[in-house]
Amino acid sequence: MSATPLLAVEELSVEFSSRGRAAHVLNSVTFNVRAGETLGIVGESGCGKSMTALAIMRLVPSPPGRISGGRIALNGEDMLPVSDARMRDIRGNRIAMIFQEPMTSLNPVFTVGSQIVEALHRHLGLSGETARRRGIELLKAVGIPLPDARFDEYPHQLSGGMRQRVMIAMAIACEPDLLIADEPTTALDVTVQAQIFDLLRSIQQRRGMGMILITHDMGVIAEMTDRVVVMYGGRVVENGATADVLAEPAHPYTRGLLACVPVLEMGDEDEPAELPEIAGVVPSIFDLQAGCPFADRCGVVVARCRAEMPPLVQFGDGHRVACWQREETRT
Amino acid sequence: MSEPLLEIRDLKVHFRRRQINPFAASQVVHAVDGVSLSLAKGRTLGLVGESGSGKTTVARAILRLVPVTEGSIRLGDTQVEQLSDQELRKKRGSVQYIFQDPYSSLNPRVRAGDIVRSPLDVLAIGDKASREARVIELFEAVGLRPEQRALFPHQFSGGQRQRINIARALAPDPELIICDEPVSALDVAIRAQILNLLQRLKRDRAITYLFISHDMAVVKHMADEVVVMYLGQIVERAPRRAFFSAPRHPYSLALLSAVPDTRAGAGRSAKRILLSGDPPSPIAPPTGCRFASRCPIAEPGCHEQVPPLRTIAVDHTVRCHRVDRTGG
Repeated sequence: MSATPLLAVEELSVEFSSRGRAAHVLNSVTFNVRAGETLGIVGESGCGKSMTALAIMRLVPSPPGRISGGRIALNGEDMLPVSDARMRDIRGNRIAMIFQEPMTSLNPVFTVGSQIVEALHRHLGLSGETARRRGIELLKAVGIPLPDARFDEYPHQLSGGMRQRVMIAMAIACEPDLLIADEPTTALDVTVQAQIFDLLRSIQQRRGMGMILITHDMGVIAEMTDRVVVMYGGRVVENGATADVLAEPAHPYTRGLLACVPVLEMGDEDEPAELPEIAGVVPSIFDLQAGCPFADRCGVVVARCRAEMPPLVQFGDGHRVACWQREETRT
Repeated sequence: MSEPLLEIRDLKVHFRRRQINPFAASQVVHAVDGVSLSLAKGRTLGLVGESGSGKTTVARAILRLVPVTEGSIRLGDTQVEQLSDQELRKKRGSVQYIFQDPYSSLNPRVRAGDIVRSPLDVLAIGDKASREARVIELFEAVGLRPEQRALFPHQFSGGQRQRINIARALAPDPELIICDEPVSALDVAIRAQILNLLQRLKRDRAITYLFISHDMAVVKHMADEVVVMYLGQIVERAPRRAFFSAPRHPYSLALLSAVPDTRAGAGRSAKRILLSGDPPSPIAPPTGCRFASRCPIAEPGCHEQVPPLRTIAVDHTVRCHRVDRTGG
C-alpha cells in the first residue's frame, strides 16, 4: 500500500445547530480512497452519505452546519485550513462531483456547451474555439451522439440519461484526481443506469482517478466498488473490501440492507415470499441518544448497545465493524 | 377460470402535439399503440418498461385520465371508455391509484386522517361515524397508529406517507388498485416494508393490482404475470415463473440484465446486454420492429416488418421475429 492515499478522511465530524440545539450529522468518520479505486458509501437517506461528500467538497451549508473536527487530506495536503479562494481552484479541478438530479444541477437557461466551457475556462484558461473543441471532445467521450449539435442545445432538449452524461462530461473536464458521484443514477431507468455505470467505469480505467460512489443500493455496491463504507446515523458502522463485506457482512445493518433487496434469481417458490425488512426508520439526527444509533432497529440488540457506542474494530484484512455483538463473540 | 376483472382490447392513446407554426402538419405522439391485456381478480399484473414506454398512459387510460383514442377497456361489467362524465365519477371508487412520489401526492395542508377519509366523503360512502371507523381500521391495516390521523403529511417519513397513500387507495374498497412505481422514490429498507405491506393486503383482502415498475426485481417480487412494454406496444407477456426463468424477448433480457444484483457481483456487468442510446421517438415510431434500432440480435428484416405478438407457450406471448430461431 502506498504511503499517502489519494484522499484521507480522519475523524471527520460535522455539526448542525438548530434552535440552540447542536446535532452531529457526521461523527468521527474515517476512510481512505486510493488512486484508481472506487469506494462505495452506502446507507439510507439521512445516514450522512451526502453530507460526507459535501464536507469533502467543503460545501457544508454554513450556517447552520460546520465541520467541527477531523481532517481531510487530498494527496497529503490538509484541506480544511485551505482558503476559500484556493478551494475554488481545487473544486471542479482536482475534485469533481456528480449530483443525483441531472435536471436540477444543470442551468436551464444556458446551453450545455457553455456550461462545460465554464469549467475549462475557469480552471484551464481555455477560451474560444479551443474551449469549444475540447467541450465537443468531452461530449464525445461520454458517448453523446452528434456532439457538435448537442453542444449548442439546452438541457431541456436532452433526455435524463443524456443530461447525466453532460454532468459527467463537466465533472471530468479538468481530469480530476477524485470524482464523487452522489447517487448518479437514482433518477434514471435501469437500462440507462447500466450505460452510465459502464461509462464511469471506462473513464476511471482510462484516467486512473479515484471515485467515491454514494448509493443506497447494495447491488450497485457489489458491481461497481472495490471497497465499501456502510454509514448509519452519521457514523461508519462497517467498512472493508466489497467482496469481504458482501461475503461476511458483520454489522446487523449491513445484513439488513443486503437481505431486504428483492433478488432476480428465480427460486422454487410459486408465490413471492415475504422480504426480510429492517423495521422502523432512520432516526433524526436531533434524536440520537448515547449508544449505537442502530439499537432501536437492531434484531440482536443488547443492553450495552444503548449505553455506549461500540468502537470501529478491525477483525479481518482491513474489515472493520462497530458492533458490540461482534465484540462479544470475539472475546 | 371466470371472466377477468379487467380486459383491455387494442387500446390506442394518441396525443396531438401542438405546433408553434400554425400551418405545419400536427404531430401525433403514439403513447399507447394497440395494447391488449387482461387481469383476473385477486391477481397482480406487473407492467414493465423504460420511461416513455407507455405503461403509465395505459394506467391513466383505465381511469380515463387520458382520452382513449381507440379500443375498449372493460372493468367488471362496465365499458370504461363509454362512460359519461357523471357515471365515471361514480365509478371512480372502483379503481384507485398509488402514485410514485409520496411527497407530492399528499396535500400538505390536509391532516392524514382527512386525506384517507376523502374518497369516502367524495363518493358519499357510509355516514360520519362509519367513515371515521373505516379510517381507523385502514390506519391499522397499513401499519400506522390511529392517533396519527391528526398529523400533517410533513410530519411523516417517506415510507409512512406511502402508507397513507395506500390507506387512501383502500378506502373506497376498490376492485383494482393501480400502483405506479410505488417504491421507486423510497429507500431500499423502506421499500421492503411497503412491498410486504402490499403483498399482505393482497392476500388478506383479495385485491387486484396493476403494478407498474421499471425494476425487474421488484416486479418479480410482486407480480403473478408480467407484461413488458416498449414504445407503446407489448413485446412480451408471460406468467411470473415462465418470464423470470426463461424470458424470450431481447428487450426483456436487456431489462433483466441491467438490474445490479449483490449475488452476481462484479462479474455480472461483463455479461450485461447493454442497450445503446435512448428509445426512438413515439412521434414517428420506426417502421418494422420498434426495438430493432437498439436490439443486439436484429437482422435487416427486423427493420422492415412489424413482428406480430405470437404465442410460444401457454400464456406466453412474444413480439419478435427472431425468437423461435434463436431458441430462447
